[in-house]
Amino acid sequence: MSDHDERPAEAAEEQGDPRENSGDGGNRLRKVLPQEVPPAAPTAGEAHAKPAPALPTAGEARARPEPEPERAPEPQPDAEPRLTGRQRLAQGVWPPRVTRAQLIVAVLLFGLGFGLAVQVASNSDSDSALRGARQEDLVRILDELDDRTQRLEDEKQGLEKQRDELENSSDQAEEARKQTVEKERQLGVLAGTVAAQGPGITMTIEDTKGTVEADMLLDAIQELRAAGAEAIQVNGVRVVAGTYLTDPGKGVGVDGNKINAPYRFKVIGKPQDLEPALNIPGGVVQTLEKEQATVTIERSTDILVDALRAAKRPDYARSSSR
Amino acid sequence: MIAVLGLVVGVVAGLLVRPEVPAVVEPYLPIAVVAALDAVFGGLRAMLDGIFDDKVFVVSFLSNVVVAALIVFLGDKLGVGAQLSTGVVVVLGIRIFSNAAAIRRHVFRA
Repeated sequence: MSDHDERPAEAAEEQGDPRENSGDGGNRLRKVLPQEVPPAAPTAGEAHAKPAPALPTAGEARARPEPEPERAPEPQPDAEPRLTGRQRLAQGVWPPRVTRAQLIVAVLLFGLGFGLAVQVASNSDSDSALRGARQEDLVRILDELDDRTQRLEDEKQGLEKQRDELENSSDQAEEARKQTVEKERQLGVLAGTVAAQGPGITMTIEDTKGTVEADMLLDAIQELRAAGAEAIQVNGVRVVAGTYLTDPGKGVGVDGNKINAPYRFKVIGKPQDLEPALNIPGGVVQTLEKEQATVTIERSTDILVDALRAAKRPDYARSSSR
Repeated sequence: MIAVLGLVVGVVAGLLVRPEVPAVVEPYLPIAVVAALDAVFGGLRAMLDGIFDDKVFVVSFLSNVVVAALIVFLGDKLGVGAQLSTGVVVVLGIRIFSNAAAIRRHVFRA
């Protein structure tokens, strides 16, 4: 009970303990007490008697009543007719008396209750939680909000950047994939792994006498290539970069496949270039006709080169472009 | 009794009317209310001690309110308003507690 020490002094300051203003304090007590608590009159002598010893000096007045609040509520062992705090409270509350003191206190308490209710009401308004805040608090809250906004803004920018990067990279990946597929097709046409379709010519070499040899066909192929042929097949064999022709005896060997007359070339390329290239004087057609073979050439807008060749993985050559 | 009625009527009126608190008074109202509570507890204790004086009560009530508001006002001007109002509330709270302890001894004898 540490509050024991300061309590009496406070009470004296707070309530204007009559003992404090030593001189007329007793007078006021005498004046006030009877009208405040009239039934206390019989014990007024007792009430006066108590502060009386404390009167001589103010310093003693503060020190003297120190044990008093403790002693007061104790039941008096000597059974003096003394009014307890409880009785005073009961007297104050009931019966209600309209006195000046009661009215003044009522007015003040009305003000207190009013202020209390107003403050509680304005404080519990959830939508205006900031209304009661003081300026520096508001500034601090605003700063915090600014910081938070800044942080979130930074985070948002980072995330947006990341998203853009991801979108770009996926776009790029998609683009690269498309290009790869496109390139694979182009290379597949050249390597003979995919079928090809387009304008071109069909050349048929009838060889009734069996005089056509591999070098003549090779000349024809080379002439076609020089004229810009993009895909060639001979009697169901695709002619690619590594194609070789041999003379196995009867007929011609193309990449080890033996083919016989008539030799039908299906060539994709520009027909206006391919046909004259074969027909130039001293060219393929004239040479073959000199050997008693008949050559017929047809232009077509839609040649299908559908002979395929398995993609062969090179054993030794590696791409050096990486 | 009339005093208690005044308090009750005040609370009810405050809840019913719900006036807009002027912005000037706003920071001081809570401190003033706490100071007034302190004065009320002091008065109650004095009544139980048998030394209640209405004049002293009025003066202490008003001066408590004014001084508390003044301290907060000064603190706001000095830039330590938050700390100072915290200090005022702490001091008033201690006083309310000690007064409540005395009242408790009177009422419950314990």
